[in-house]
Amino acid sequence: MSYRIIEIEVTEPLPTISLSNKDTGMALILRRKHRPIGFLMEPLSANSQITPENLAQLIAKEAGAKMLQETIREELTALEHQQEDAKTWRDAFPSLTVAICTKDRPENLARCLQSLLNLQVSALKWEILVIDNAPSDERTKELVASYPQVRYVLEPKPGLNFARNCALYSANGELLAYLDDDVVVDRKWLEGLMEAWAENPDAAAFTGLVLPYELVTDAQILFEARGGFRRGFEKIRYGQILPGNPLHPCGAGIFGAGCNMSLRRDFLVKIGGFDEALDTGATLPGGGDLDIFYRVIRAGYPLVYEPKYLVFHQHRREYAQLRRQYWTWGLGFMAFVTKSHQSDPPQRVQLRRLVWWWFKDQLKQLKNSFGNHHVLPPNMILAELWGGIIGILGEYPRSLKRVEKIRSQFS
Amino acid sequence: MSAFVPWKILHIDLSTGIPTLMAEPKYQAIYAVFWWYGIPLGHQEIFAAQLPMPATQLANLALQAIVPAVGDRLFAQGFKQPLPVISPNPARDTHVDFQTLMALKEPLKQLQERCSQPVNGSISVIVCTRNRPEELAICLRSLQNLSPPPQQIIVVDNAPNSDVTQQLVAQFLSIQYILEQRPGLSVARNTGICHSKGDIIAFTDDDVVVHPNWMARLQQGFQDPRVMAVTGLMLPAELETEAQLIFHRGIGGPGWGYRRMTFDPQFFADMKSRGVPVWRIGAGANMAFRRKVFDLVGYFDERLGAGASGCSEDSEFWYRILAEGWCCCYEPSAVIYHYHRRDMDSLKHQAYQYMRGHVAALLVQFAKYKHWGNIRRLLIALPRYYQQRFLQELKTGFQPKQSSLLREIAGCLAGVKYYINNRRVMPFQSVPSRPHITEKTGVGGRVRGVGVKRNSCRK
Repeated sequence: MSYRIIEIEVTEPLPTISLSNKDTGMALILRRKHRPIGFLMEPLSANSQITPENLAQLIAKEAGAKMLQETIREELTALEHQQEDAKTWRDAFPSLTVAICTKDRPENLARCLQSLLNLQVSALKWEILVIDNAPSDERTKELVASYPQVRYVLEPKPGLNFARNCALYSANGELLAYLDDDVVVDRKWLEGLMEAWAENPDAAAFTGLVLPYELVTDAQILFEARGGFRRGFEKIRYGQILPGNPLHPCGAGIFGAGCNMSLRRDFLVKIGGFDEALDTGATLPGGGDLDIFYRVIRAGYPLVYEPKYLVFHQHRREYAQLRRQYWTWGLGFMAFVTKSHQSDPPQRVQLRRLVWWWFKDQLKQLKNSFGNHHVLPPNMILAELWGGIIGILGEYPRSLKRVEKIRSQFS
Repeated sequence: MSAFVPWKILHIDLSTGIPTLMAEPKYQAIYAVFWWYGIPLGHQEIFAAQLPMPATQLANLALQAIVPAVGDRLFAQGFKQPLPVISPNPARDTHVDFQTLMALKEPLKQLQERCSQPVNGSISVIVCTRNRPEELAICLRSLQNLSPPPQQIIVVDNAPNSDVTQQLVAQFLSIQYILEQRPGLSVARNTGICHSKGDIIAFTDDDVVVHPNWMARLQQGFQDPRVMAVTGLMLPAELETEAQLIFHRGIGGPGWGYRRMTFDPQFFADMKSRGVPVWRIGAGANMAFRRKVFDLVGYFDERLGAGASGCSEDSEFWYRILAEGWCCCYEPSAVIYHYHRRDMDSLKHQAYQYMRGHVAALLVQFAKYKHWGNIRRLLIALPRYYQQRFLQELKTGFQPKQSSLLREIAGCLAGVKYYINNRRVMPFQSVPSRPHITEKTGVGGRVRGVGVKRNSCRK
């Protein structure tokens, strides 16, 4: 199975889409004047043709409301003459450090770096850091050496959050934009971040939209069909409460994804950086982003989700990898909950409720899956559920011990 | 009650710019209503913990809130508010056409043009009141600000204890005072109708403030000749007490939204077997009628309404309009601000009255048309609803002081009893002061010529 990903700019004449004999569907990324406004996946037979008329119908159904919203936004903006303000906003944007944490994936890293270097960044103070995390060879170092604009930092202690903290203490920028090496940034990525910053000068963290880089295997299509990393096309400012969600901010998964997030450096330093016992690499490859988002809100700062701050993520290609990813979601989530339960007593009741809700929700999904009412097959959901069970049974304390051992090895 | 922190109601007209919201230590939340040149388009609830909020963020919230209402007004298809039916007819609304969307320029400006089309026809405003001169004074002052002014404003003083209301009305030169000694809101309204001269007769209550454009916007709802009744949006005037918030959240709460709805014979037919939810059409504090509808379907049933069954004289009247093949239109740009009851006891009493009136109206509707849906609602839907609510309240810890559940159930039973006691009473009593009303329309029963009216409605 393979879906073709097609970008559509709605303000331009719509194309006729002809699928090849290998395509089994298409995924549309919809934009209006560069701003992402919608995403849709459509299973189709090979060699199908989509006329502009059919396409127009699909788009109007998927993103009609959003298109109207953008038209109104334009009118209001023109009214308030915010164009002039936009320039001053740009001036107010702080110095930026982009930090890519990587381990033994120079091809991915090269792609990510290239997308960053293609951005138009006139009059912006920024630096790009590559944190090479416990590499098994010199390939990453050699690759970075070929880019004079990119700074190489080695973090020998294995673990993503070790690498993220290493970036924190090596960075010069006031704002730190973290990227995973398996993403490619969108051409409006930086503008999106600037816009979010300008609109929310008091926020401590920013997250963005994550869309698929490719949909060439069953596993990738399945992952994206279940929602992938998408968090919608509306700007959201998360504060101390979230109307309609009594478990806020414990349900930190909705805020965004760690593969595309920015945080203020002074804030990170103040709260002591990332928790190195989460996102530790192979043993506990998750929970680190949940934990940092949760701590942003608990420290009293807004966290902002901006759809224009967009990256494309290369999902796991193999079924086994995907199943493992769901397993790590369950594991990381429960490790985060256990940790917060320990470190944040006022939220204990909420966190316990969240665990209860999570298990109920997983069982419901499992039931739907067995009844064929779910995108995912039961074994994927079981993997997540199993990860959750392992997670709640002392994964965080085990991870603390492991991390302590790593620290002593390298000190 | 002392622990209750009030809500602030904030009206933001987007045409005058979007403010930055500062912290509000005295309020637990802001109820922000977004307008465009006096057209209400949506609202958002913003809690104190979300403040301060930069203007850009408020703009995002406003945009998300107003899109459906703007789309509803600009496009023939798409963004329509679904009617309160069990299984919506998918053919009623599809999504908007892509080319139309792309051709759209300056939607808000267009909206303003569409909403400011001139209206013609004379209009009479009737306010029925009883022993509430302070509230009435505020209401009358707001009526003086109506633009354009109505042809006639009538205050019907209903079985007053004193002449305070009469003296108050005397201070307003343009307002006509009528005394109706027989108690009952329906009686007072019928008396008001008999003294009115306008082609369109609008009603409001004494505990509201009307928006300056209220009447002109109500009139715009009558463009379609099939429309016999128009209702409008009721916004809270204040949310200062817990009782007001509960009322707002519950009975009067979500209101009816910011999109137009036309309740037509199709809607009636869809819901006839389950009990047509006519109470979702609007509120008696904000409604208007074509004069001729009173000749077509009769007057308000004097057994129903405040001072008699308790309430639902308005919805029962809409029921007749729909049953006879005409339409009702909900026009949200016609805005009034309602002062909800401030204390819990009056709120509970109101809940009791509402259910008593509602059940009595169901029985009246059944008696008149033999539509079994009314009985179905009474015997199946309402008991099921209260059973679910009872279980829900047990789960969250039943608080008899907070809950109006028992009062509501008592109200339902009282409604049955009330109907049985009054089933033989004429729904409308012709009195000498109503010379032009004939027996034919007065009975409001099986009015002759129904077939003709149905035809005229379907054209």
